[in-house]
Amino acid sequence: MRNSSQRLLSACCSVLLLAVVALLTCAPVRADDLPFAQQVDLTPLDRVAVFSEGRLKSFSSFANQQMQFVTGPRKIGGQGSDFTYFDLLFRGNAYEDADVIYVKNREVRARISEAALRADPALTERLRAFEASGLVSQKILNLPPVRTELQTMEGDLIRTAKEMDSIKGALSVKDPSFLLGSLRVIPPADGSLDKPWVSIGDIMLLGADPATLPAAARDRPMNAVPGIDEAKQRQLAADWRGFVMAWQQGDATAVNTRVKAIATLLPTLVPSIYPPAERLEWEGWYFRNDNLSRSWLVFLGAIVFLLLGLVYRWKRATQIGMGVFAMAFLLQTFAVMLRWYISGRWPNSNMFEAVTTAAWMGTAVAFIAEVTFLRRTAMHGVVALGACVTSMVALMAAHFLPVQLNSNISNMMPVLHDVWLYIHTNVIIFSYALIFMSSISAFCYLVWRMRGGGLAFARVGGAGQAMEMMAAAGSGAAGAASGGAVSKTAHHRATGVGEVFDGVTMLLTELSFVMLWAGIVMGAIWADHSWGRPWGWDPKEVFALNTFIIFALLIHVRWKVRDKGLWTAILAVAGAAVMLFNWIVINFVISGLHSYA
Amino acid sequence: MQPSTFRYLSIAMHSLIRPILDLFSSVRFGIVLLALLFAYMSVGSAGILYPIHPNIFHPDAWVHAQMRQWRPFEMTEFEWFHWWPFDVLMALIALTLVTTTVRRIPLRVVNLGVWMIHSGIIMLIVGSVIYFGTKVEGEAPVVRRTVTIGITAKDGPASELIATGTIVAMPGSKLTVGQGADRYDVEVQSIDPSWELRSGADIGKRAYSVNLMITAPDRRFMRQVIAGYPEYTEDLIFTQDKAQPVKRAVKETGKPIIDTRLFVALDYCPQTDFYLKNDLEKSWALYVRRPGETRWVERPVIGLPLYNDYVPDLNEVFLGPAESAEPRSLRVMIPAAAADDPAPGVVFEATGYLRYGQMRTRLIPGGTDAAPNAVAAVDVSDSEGRSAQYRLIASDPQKRSADGGVLAIRQISDEEQLAPLLAQPTLVFRVPSRNITLTESVKDAALTDKDAQWRPIGPVDSGYAYRVVAVQDDLAIGGRELSVAILELRTPAGEFRRWTFSDATMSRDLAPGEDPMAAMKRGGESFTDKSLEVEYRPGNGLALALLVAGPEAGRLRLVDSLGRPEARVVDVTPRIPVELAAGVKLTVTDWMPNAMQESKPFVVPQSQRQRDARELFSMMRVNQVLPAKAAAAPTAPGAASASTAEWLTYHPYVFDRAQDVLRRYWLTPSTITLADGTALEVLFSRQREPLPAPVALETFELTTEVGGFSGQSSSIRNYTSVVRFQEAGGTWGAPERLSVNEPVEFDGMSFFQSQWDPPEEARQGGMASAGLNYTVLGVGNRHGVWVQLIGCIVACLGMMYAFYVKPVIKRRNERLVLEEIARAKAEGRRPSFAKHHTESVHA
Repeated sequence: MRNSSQRLLSACCSVLLLAVVALLTCAPVRADDLPFAQQVDLTPLDRVAVFSEGRLKSFSSFANQQMQFVTGPRKIGGQGSDFTYFDLLFRGNAYEDADVIYVKNREVRARISEAALRADPALTERLRAFEASGLVSQKILNLPPVRTELQTMEGDLIRTAKEMDSIKGALSVKDPSFLLGSLRVIPPADGSLDKPWVSIGDIMLLGADPATLPAAARDRPMNAVPGIDEAKQRQLAADWRGFVMAWQQGDATAVNTRVKAIATLLPTLVPSIYPPAERLEWEGWYFRNDNLSRSWLVFLGAIVFLLLGLVYRWKRATQIGMGVFAMAFLLQTFAVMLRWYISGRWPNSNMFEAVTTAAWMGTAVAFIAEVTFLRRTAMHGVVALGACVTSMVALMAAHFLPVQLNSNISNMMPVLHDVWLYIHTNVIIFSYALIFMSSISAFCYLVWRMRGGGLAFARVGGAGQAMEMMAAAGSGAAGAASGGAVSKTAHHRATGVGEVFDGVTMLLTELSFVMLWAGIVMGAIWADHSWGRPWGWDPKEVFALNTFIIFALLIHVRWKVRDKGLWTAILAVAGAAVMLFNWIVINFVISGLHSYA
Repeated sequence: MQPSTFRYLSIAMHSLIRPILDLFSSVRFGIVLLALLFAYMSVGSAGILYPIHPNIFHPDAWVHAQMRQWRPFEMTEFEWFHWWPFDVLMALIALTLVTTTVRRIPLRVVNLGVWMIHSGIIMLIVGSVIYFGTKVEGEAPVVRRTVTIGITAKDGPASELIATGTIVAMPGSKLTVGQGADRYDVEVQSIDPSWELRSGADIGKRAYSVNLMITAPDRRFMRQVIAGYPEYTEDLIFTQDKAQPVKRAVKETGKPIIDTRLFVALDYCPQTDFYLKNDLEKSWALYVRRPGETRWVERPVIGLPLYNDYVPDLNEVFLGPAESAEPRSLRVMIPAAAADDPAPGVVFEATGYLRYGQMRTRLIPGGTDAAPNAVAAVDVSDSEGRSAQYRLIASDPQKRSADGGVLAIRQISDEEQLAPLLAQPTLVFRVPSRNITLTESVKDAALTDKDAQWRPIGPVDSGYAYRVVAVQDDLAIGGRELSVAILELRTPAGEFRRWTFSDATMSRDLAPGEDPMAAMKRGGESFTDKSLEVEYRPGNGLALALLVAGPEAGRLRLVDSLGRPEARVVDVTPRIPVELAAGVKLTVTDWMPNAMQESKPFVVPQSQRQRDARELFSMMRVNQVLPAKAAAAPTAPGAASASTAEWLTYHPYVFDRAQDVLRRYWLTPSTITLADGTALEVLFSRQREPLPAPVALETFELTTEVGGFSGQSSSIRNYTSVVRFQEAGGTWGAPERLSVNEPVEFDGMSFFQSQWDPPEEARQGGMASAGLNYTVLGVGNRHGVWVQLIGCIVACLGMMYAFYVKPVIKRRNERLVLEEIARAKAEGRRPSFAKHHTESVHA
């Protein structure tokens, strides 16, 4: 009987696993009303480098970044950013009254919508959609009452001026002449690293017959960039013009041919400083696939199995869960390493990188601990569960909050160019990941207590408990010859789940305690030579120390009280809350010296 | 003393000290202290959140506030964290740590970890007391070069300078050296931070180069000076050649220097002081000096607030619309502090403070005895319902006309002044040699564009032609108001530009590229071609609708020449429209015949304050304390001396002279008339302290990312100041590179890269700057930092020991105990243990 139900569960789990994998691999569904958009293949442009803000980016990551200024986290009509970029550039008029400008602040949306309604009551439906999605058209923003409202909001430097700046930014980026001018794809002729790249717009009329050009274009300069093979430039200009024409006529086949030609020609102009094609292609791939943040689904899968294993003491589920966890970890490792390779530096310099790298570090430690010393102990699976939840939350944040966690790769501020960036930041974010993980097992402990668990706690602390359990597991493996040793399952039952949860909480808390302290001290060492003082009472510093104080309280309270497990769990969750407060509220609301990202 | 008394005393002492010791060795007490520390730090750093509405579930019901900035506190973060409650808390924590550790935790191998943690934290606290007890921190702006100017007497020896002066090398800074026939006006025209040397042995090297515009008694020219290469100093002269208006003098005359009377050199501009920040603590200061002196003397202002506004009398300030405020008094004494104070007996008091204010001038109706000054609000609308509003001020040349001069206002004091205003502006051309006279109305010509058609003067083949480039009325030159017609003339002598003034003696021809203002001042020949004479009669100028106020008080008329060959005069009544041609209506909506200017600080509303401006727009109200009157009216502080109170604007840095002011900063001292009738100049700034040695800026370098500096900060990788410190004996030490994250230490002080001088477009008539003319260094000491660090490391090692070594020791001891029990059982004896084994097992 039991066997058949297990088989059923097992089958269900396999189906679930397959569904997760399928979700990951299938491409996002696109709107069907734009056949042209689907036929156009812009992937060859991944090999093209665009110079932007002191960096050389792959075209699709560049387009992604530029379009974020306009459409925010939204995608227009299911199109990729690269498609939208060209469509705005070549068919700008079509977007005059299209809802493509993203307004983040809900209060600002409401005010714009109210003003627009005064001008044109027929807009009711559209404005309702705007208030939900945040997307509005240039035409609506240009309605006289809306303009007046925008001006009023511009004057309020505290509440709305920033939002107005981003609306103005969106309008200027959306402008075709800006989009064309930003396409700086032609390297400086001498291969110098100190000179800016030139826009395709500067040479696009080379060799064109003036008679065929629209009147506005006739006055544009038609000089080739000196020092670069002029024949190639003429060829490039001709391909570009063909590309524009084909796009405007909706001829996808011609577009694809031209795109290939342009992508082949551009890297040959000044090969000496052109970034390697593999890097650019990986960069394009990485951004087109949402920075691989969708792998949160794999972590979700692992969580399901690990929980099944934990709740039903079902070994097979734990094994599958560990397998999925390993897969997720590999995916995550690949994402972090790929980002490292693309940006040329360890990813820890903005909010997105801090969150994803922290999660990866937590997962890595959990993975190593699970496959080495925790494998045969009762703690097996619990640390992995904490890591899975941590990574899932981090990747979900990266996936669903692309505005707050901006994934664009940009240059670091001069003050960040220091070896201590890599030491201090990583130690701190690692400790934060551990804190979050420990709060998961603490949460599990609290749930266990609420469901009637007894007054259990790890008698010898986290690391001590782990050592004891390892020893117990070791002697268990040595055989029942000694007689006195208990088998693993028996030991598990005797100590209870509560002791395991408390042990894991303490194991992670102890490590995070040391790491957080070390991280704060390393930050102080950096600040001493960077800001001129080791400690500046900056809000972020203060709340890192506050987090530490919570854990200092935890250790001393644990020393004093009788119900050690319960108080440990409560304070571990409180510590995680203070850590998250530091990460979210202090970063986004109360800015200080640490506001780099 | 009786032995029993001693015993009682001892018991009493014990009963008194024991509870205290017990309290301080109680873990519970420690937990309470830690919780208090958590709360104190949270409130000081993140602030507090409190409801202002009973519906606490609505987000708008909550207000966030930084409690430390409230009026009773007015504390910076540092001040909050060095306030006595914090100090007491830290002292209690230290005491508890020491007592608990010593009394409750036996010093054994197992407990080594906790001992290390606790003693590490004690060390950290001691180190921090040393560090923050002695900390000074500030900023020192250092200019790259100063320009030293000297002139010798005409025909005098080259070694004898008759006049000298210095200015900072920064575009727009200027100085006049010498007088009369020896007068030289020197102005820094431009700067190139990395000028490439084009000749000599150093060809290809790059150096800091300064171009000076020199107006000598007899000519104007440019002089280029290059830092580090005085031998390459050379003059540049203006030519009539359009293709190359500026040429190297050496190419034209064979000599690099055309004016040997003028000596110019670039020198270091050493900084001797640094300015304290309103950070570790508030560091306000009032600087005073007698008029005519250059050196400022500092008076610290202790106790002035920082975050909130204090205005004793709301009539003294402008408030934004819909803003309200309560009067609040403030009284901070500012006595003389330095021995060399120019007015040691004079005590000032700060009686007001604004966190964010701006001096604003508004016009208010003056009384009947006020000087006539017409101000009119005008509404012009057309037949299609479009309208525009203007405000015209007769006394302000900038605001006297609108829409390019089409609409204007004039004040007349005599009826006779009206007649010329009715006339059209005309140009009269005369070529006496050819007997040509041409009178042309400018009105239609002036409204055409720059690329206007050439119009012949006389017959088409006369060889003379003109076109109007621009016409400008109300030009203020040398205290007079003039009108000018800028013409391009074509004569047999060539093509040139002539500025024809309403005062013909001012008219002159300009060399290509010549600065008109400088041309006005230059002597020598005024005209390129004297055969053509031009006269400009401005009449009513460009104005198609000219409001005329006066001569009687309250009279307002309109001279209307829109679409009519002859102007007409209409009386204007406020708020009644006047019909002009083509459906255009003009309405004077409001007007003041005798407007007066009133300057007051404007309290900028919270919503319009720049977030990162800090105290940059602060203002302080000061007045002299008058002992006798203050004693007579003790209840009204400040009231007795209100008439002499001044609102002072904040200066981040104190400059001695206008020639020393850095770009983006200012020098606007106020003059206060003291009770004894003498005057004193005052300046509101912050305290400064001497640097360990003067520091000079050799060069400033910008390192960029791929693609060079784009104007955006994202393209910058690093900023580097190369500085030199002055050593004993006045010699300059070796250059030291100082950049972000890489400070330089000198004599116990660390120097950091703090701010820079970015390139800047010209604005408001100023000059553009290529930037990099100065750096701002952060300066600070760091006593006790090693004690802090060692404490932290010891604590960190202790944590590792406690978490990872202690369990191993405990497990080993436990095993030893179990083994001993088993052994004893086998041998049939009582087990015996080493004491520390059992202790740690039971711990």
